[in-house]
This record gives sequence, C-alpha cells and structure tokens, in this order.
Amino acid sequence: MMTDDVGLHPLWSQFVPPKGLLPRALLVGVAYFIGAEAAFLIGTLSDRIFAPFWPPNVILFCALLLAPRRHWWVYIAAAFPAHVVAEAGVGMQAPQYLVAFATNCLIALLSASFMRSGLFEEPWLGSLRKAALYILLVVVVSPAFSSLGGAFVPILGGGAMDRYLEYWAQWFLANALGFLTLGPTFLMWFSKDVLGPRTISIQRLVEGIVLAAGLVVVCTLAFRVSAGAVTTSYLPAVLYSPLPLILWAAVRFGQRGASGAILVVTVTSLWLTLNTSSFFIAGSPETNVLALQTFLISFSAPVLLLGASMDEARHAERAIRESEERMVFAAASANIGLWYLDAETERLWATEYCRSMLGFAADAPLTRAAILEAIHPEDRQATIDSIRSAARSGEDVASEFRIALPGGEVRWFRARARADRDDHGKPFRISGIFADITGAKMAEHEADLQRRELAHLTRVAVMGELSGAIAHELNQPLTAILSNAQAAQLMLAKDAPNLGDIGQVIDDIVLEDKRAGEVIERLRGLLRKDEGKRASVRINELVLSTLQLLHSEIISRRIKLVTNLARDLPPIWGDRVQLQQVLLNLVMNAMEALASVSSDRKIVTISTRQLINGQIETIVSDLGQGLGPEGQRRAFEPFFTTKPHGLGLGLSICSSIVGTHGGTLQLSNNRKGGVRACFSLPTECPAEATT
Amino acid sequence: MLQPADRVSCGGYDMSDGDFTVFIVDDDPGVLKALSRLLTAMGYQTRAFSSPRAFLADHDPSIPGCAVLDFAMPDLDGLQLQEALSVEGAGRQIIFVTGKGDIFTSVRAMKDGAIDVLTKPISYDSLLTAIDQARERDCQVRQVRREKANIEAGLARLTAREREVFTQVVAGRLNKQIAADLGTVEKTIKVHRARMMHKLGVRTVQDLVRLAERVDIRPQPPDPGPRPPG
Repeated sequence: MMTDDVGLHPLWSQFVPPKGLLPRALLVGVAYFIGAEAAFLIGTLSDRIFAPFWPPNVILFCALLLAPRRHWWVYIAAAFPAHVVAEAGVGMQAPQYLVAFATNCLIALLSASFMRSGLFEEPWLGSLRKAALYILLVVVVSPAFSSLGGAFVPILGGGAMDRYLEYWAQWFLANALGFLTLGPTFLMWFSKDVLGPRTISIQRLVEGIVLAAGLVVVCTLAFRVSAGAVTTSYLPAVLYSPLPLILWAAVRFGQRGASGAILVVTVTSLWLTLNTSSFFIAGSPETNVLALQTFLISFSAPVLLLGASMDEARHAERAIRESEERMVFAAASANIGLWYLDAETERLWATEYCRSMLGFAADAPLTRAAILEAIHPEDRQATIDSIRSAARSGEDVASEFRIALPGGEVRWFRARARADRDDHGKPFRISGIFADITGAKMAEHEADLQRRELAHLTRVAVMGELSGAIAHELNQPLTAILSNAQAAQLMLAKDAPNLGDIGQVIDDIVLEDKRAGEVIERLRGLLRKDEGKRASVRINELVLSTLQLLHSEIISRRIKLVTNLARDLPPIWGDRVQLQQVLLNLVMNAMEALASVSSDRKIVTISTRQLINGQIETIVSDLGQGLGPEGQRRAFEPFFTTKPHGLGLGLSICSSIVGTHGGTLQLSNNRKGGVRACFSLPTECPAEATT
Repeated sequence: MLQPADRVSCGGYDMSDGDFTVFIVDDDPGVLKALSRLLTAMGYQTRAFSSPRAFLADHDPSIPGCAVLDFAMPDLDGLQLQEALSVEGAGRQIIFVTGKGDIFTSVRAMKDGAIDVLTKPISYDSLLTAIDQARERDCQVRQVRREKANIEAGLARLTAREREVFTQVVAGRLNKQIAADLGTVEKTIKVHRARMMHKLGVRTVQDLVRLAERVDIRPQPPDPGPRPPG
C-alpha cells in the first residue's frame, strides 16, 4: 500500500503527485464518508450528534500511516469534503464540523506519528510490547489529548459548558473504542504480514466464519434476549458468555482473531444497545453507551494483548521450528545426522536423516544399544570409550567407526559428541552428530593405495638399479654351496671317506642355502606390495639388513661404510618394508653422491640414536658434493631430481613415508661437505594406527 | 663323480702335493671356506685369506702355486691385488673369480697375465683346467728361473778372463781372434775356453750360445777394431 517514491527526483516528486496518489486519496475520502455513515447507522444519538464508535478517524489514521509523510495533506484534503458532507448530513453546523474535523485530523496525525516514531516497525502489531505501546499511545494518549478539542463540538451545538468532561469522555471513548477495535483489524490486514501465510486454508476460513457467526449469535442472545429475561444477579455470567469464543479467536488466530472478535462484539453490542433494548438499560442511552464502551474497552485491551502474546509465542515457536528445520536440512545436506542421548533414560533422539543414514527404519525404536549394535565390532569399544570420555570431560570428542547397514554395505561415520550439563555440572544429555565420511575415507584409502603403489614402483626401480649387486649377493651362497657339494663328492670318492668332514660340509651347505634364502626373502620383502601392516621394528636391525642388501653394491662402488648405532634403542612402530625403503633410498643417494669424489672421501656414515623427546633419529651422511640451493629447496618435490636418469620420486616418497609414521625427514649439508639426511620416528604407536 | 686332479709332471721337476699351494683370497667367509675345501679335496695344498692385505702380508713368492682371487673385495679389488703381486715380482699365477661377468675388468685381468676369469658359481671343470694351466705355467716359470739361476751361478764362478772368453765365444769369435784381442796366444785361450765350458757344463758352442740367450746375453756384434792382416 505504501508508495515508495524514493526513486524519483526530489524536486520533481514534490510538485507532481505520483501516479496512484489521487485515486488513493479519493478512495480514502470515500472510505471516510462510508465510515462516518456506518457510525451513524450503528448508532448516533442524532439528537446529540454523538457517535459512540467513530471509524473515520481510524480510516484516516491508516491512510496516513501507509502514506509517505509529504503526502499526508493530500489525504487530509480528501477526507475534508467527505467529513463535511457526512456531518452536515446529520445537521451539524459549520463551526461544529470544522472543530470535529480538526480533532479527527489531530487524532489521526498524532496516532500516525506515534506509529512512525520508531517505536514500531512493520508488522505494526505482533508482539506484546508493540500491542501494549499501541494501546497506550494510539488508543489512550492520542484520543485523550485530541478529545480536549473535540469536547467543544457539543458545546458549539448548544451543550452546557459544565458537561465538558462528559463530552470529553464521550469523544475519548468513541475514539478509543474505534482504535481498539477497528484499528488493529485494519493494521493487521494492511500490514505486510510476516507472521503467517496470507493464504488461509479452507478449514481456518470456515473456523473463522463460524467463530464470527457464533459471536454474533452469542452476543445477540446475551445482550438482547437476556435483557429483562434474567435477574440482575446473573448479569455478570451473561456478560462473560462471549468470552470463550473471544478467547478461542485470540488463541487460535492470535491478534488477528482477537481484533476481529472484538470488532464483531463491539459492533453487535453497540447496535443492540442503541437500537433495541439491552441490559445496559440503567440510565439514559448516553450513559448506557458509556457503560458499554467502558465494558468493551476494558475487555478488549487484555484480549488484544493476549492475541499479541499468542502471536509472539507462535512466532517464537515458528522461528525455533524453522531454525531447527534449517539446521536439520543443512545437516542433511552436509551428510550429517543430529542426535542426542538422554543420560538418564538412555533414550536416543535422532533426525530422520540420521536414522536413514544409520539404516534404521523411521519407526524402529532407537536406543543406545541399537546403535552400538550396528557399529562394527572392531570399532565398538573405541566408540563407547570416546562417548564416555565426552560425558566425563565436557569437551567435544570425535570418533570414527564403521556401521554395517542392513543391506550389508559398510559405511564410515564420524561422531562428535558433547555433554550438556545442568546447573550442577552434571551431564544430563549427550548431544552430537553423525557424519557419513565414507566418501572421504574412500578417497583417503584410494590415495593411500596410490601412494603405496608408487612406493612399490620406486622400490622395484631401486631393485632394478641394484640387480647386479643383488645377483652377486645371491651368487655368493650359491658358489659356496656348489663348491662344498663338489668337495663332498671328492671326499666320498676316496677309499676311506671321513664322514665327519663330509658332515661338516653338508652343515655348511645348509647354512649357505639358508643364507641364499635370506637374500631372496629380503628381496621379496622389498618387492612385495605391502599392505601397510605396522609392527614393532628395531631400527638397528633394519639398518643392518639394509646394508646386507647393499653389501655388494657398497663394495663395487668402493665405498667405506661407517655405522654408529646406539645400543638398546626402543623399538618403533611402523611398516618395516616402507622404512627399509627409506633407508635404502637414503643410502643409495649417499653412495651416488660419492660417485665422483676421491676415494678417501668415499665414506657413508649411518648412525642411530634416541633424542631427548624420545624419538629415534637415524642419520645417513656422505662426504659428497652436498646440496645446491635449489636442491635444498626442492629436494622433496616430486619429479625433482639431480640425477641424469632419476625419476625424482625417491625423496618425496621417503618424506611421505616418514610423515605417515609421525616423523620428519630433513636434508641438510654437512659441515665437512656432503649431505646429511636425518629422519626421526616416534617410538610409540601413532594415534592413527587404526587402519 | 668328480676325479681328483691328475698329477702333472713338469720337465723332470717334481710336482709332489706339498710343493704346489693354492692361495685363496675371498672376503666372503662361506665362499672362502668352500673353495679351500674343494681345492683341498682336489688334492692341493691350500691357504685361505679373507682379505687381500692379509694375503699380501703373508705372501711368500718362492712357494710354488697359484692364487684364486675374488674380484670384488673391500680395500683392494682383484686388479689392484694383481698389480701389487706383479710389483712384488713374484710371478704368481692368478685365477680370478667373479660374481658378475664384467668384460672390461676381465679383459684387463687377462692382459695383465691372469690365467682365467671364472664366474661364480665356479664350474669344477674350468677350475680344474685353470689350476692345471696355472701349475703348468708356474712350473715353467720356475724351471726357467731355476735354469737361469744355475747359469748365473756358473757364470759367477768364471774368472774375469774366462768371462771375457765366454763373451767372445758367444759372439762367434775364433780362438785366434780372441787371443789377438786379449793380447795373448791361442793356446792360452783354448785353456780358458775349456775351463769356461766345463764350469758352465756345456760341450758345444751351440749349447753355450743357447745358455747365453737364456740369461739374455746376446752375442756381441763383431768387433769393428783393426782386422788382422790376412
């Protein structure tokens, strides 16, 4: 309804009324006139020119409220002829209707100004605070003040000056009743209603109509039939008879229902009181109407407030529901299920998405036990422990577990839980989320698989480089076996073979065969695609085993190897094959760095030791050329290599292997020249050893 | 069934077991043990060394025999050991044993006088053949050396005059010419010559020349001095 002219040039819009203003002003004028006529129709004590219920002011107030301030004069101007025509029609003199118009305009202007003062915003009513302010300012203050002027209208028409207070009361109550009954109704229907949908369901519509009709009937019965039919002692009961319906309207339809019901009751009871006899019969019609007005006002105000608080409660409820719905929706979109567990009853509440995620039917009973049952047996205990620790510590606790869905599919979930505590710090509820992380787990697994595949390929490549040395390593025991066997044959060919000697030879053959087997076993270990199995590994054993593998290569490269292994090192937790690959790579790099240095510098040193922080450090250093600045910067980059035929993957893979073991791999230049490669590994089982 | 090595006789030089020793050098204890066991069973004296340095420190070139050396060893590799042995002037016959058939090193080893380069695992027949060959060559070398030593000993017994006569005779000069050169009479030269031949154990001039060749004494070119009036 409001016309927003902000877009127009201010100068232009000042002089040219915007399109639609004039028709609207005309409409207001017509409405003003109809309102006045309606007031006269409902009941004007024509001999006193007094309307107990005056809608035109409310119409003008609404028009002003909805229009921009600079257009107010247009609406007032439009209302003026309507006022004159209506009032003159009931025989008012010019001074009377002019003062009346001034009073009406003052009420409308004051009330509209109050409403636009910043105390209110749209929706105009809708909260208890706004309803209370409305009653105070618009219903009480503004009419009370303006009526000081309006009370002169009857005096101008010949009324006695000493009845000024009575006239003032008439004016005030007529206006107050109008603002209390019609005002909210108009405001409710005209304001942009954010509280509820504009479209009402058929049921609600029927309910509203039935309610209104019921009110008319009840009021008619109460005010008319009871008049004279009941004794005075039953009057209070009769007066209360519309109350249930009014409360029903207020409770079911909020402020809108309350204001509607008030309007219906007001109009019906006024009509009845003025046009027929009702139980407000004690005095003159004016006194009767005064009493009725007082009655109506005194019950309307609380009902209006009740409606407002109903709206507020409903609004709050809806806001909570909407926020919850938004949260549930957002959670479901993010693959998250929400749940909470009552600590005492062990009852579990979960969102529908959570249920379907975990494979529970919508109606299946959801209990702690049922969820734990669904968790993969291997993960169950850890999950229980983690939730317990959430209850104890009061901090967020996360755990990951698998759930076997009814179809047999196994999915990964991450649960986060937190204990909600009461005032005494005692946890009464554990709330949390379930997130389906199967996708991430799969990707992680895939990446892990690829990394291992790559590690395996580089191991194979290293083995290829070492093939000559390895063949030699295998050749040694084979040579010994063959020679031993031939010696035994010769011994047996003698006339009196010494069986003791031959036995020794055979013992040696067995020994050498085992040695060959060990070489093959080492090879197979390195060439095998590891499954990422972790176990306790003694680093010194690993160093020695690696050096055995490299024995021939070290000799053929004419490299002197120095080992400086600390004794009694605690074992580390890791993947033997992967760690050996790291050692192999570092030693190979060191040896390659020594290819072009003089023979007295062809020294590779391997040392192990335990650091203060408990980690085990392994250092492989050489006396070669050392790293250039680029090499230092990019040594761990994939595909960076300084070797003519290098792939550039060795160090990058070593670094990632050491990283997944919870350690770090560092390269630096030795003070004496050459490279010092150093990696440290924790001795304990890393936290992510669950895979 | 393998047969022990045949006894090889070598030009009257007695090749009893005790005289021929196989020196085995390999850093791999298993291989070392097996090889020395096999060679012992084949009927040779063996001495095993687990490092080239130990072998060099203990080496007695006068003992007849041969060396079976591993190519790839820490400290000194096979080729370096071969060089060290030749510097020593031992004339030790060498059979190399290698894990990888590296052509370059094999060729160098053979050029430097190795008997053979055997690939591990070592075939019995090639080992046998190589050792026989080594023994034969060692035997020859020793015989030549012994003969040379005999000759040199004989030469050492000659007087200065006899030595002069020896040189002249080997150079193909006649007694008369020698006598003229040495400023004496032919008869005296004849006496010297007979004594010299006796001391060196030869009867004919041909034998004498052959003997001189063995110790690298070449016949002197005819003296360009004044020829006697003829």
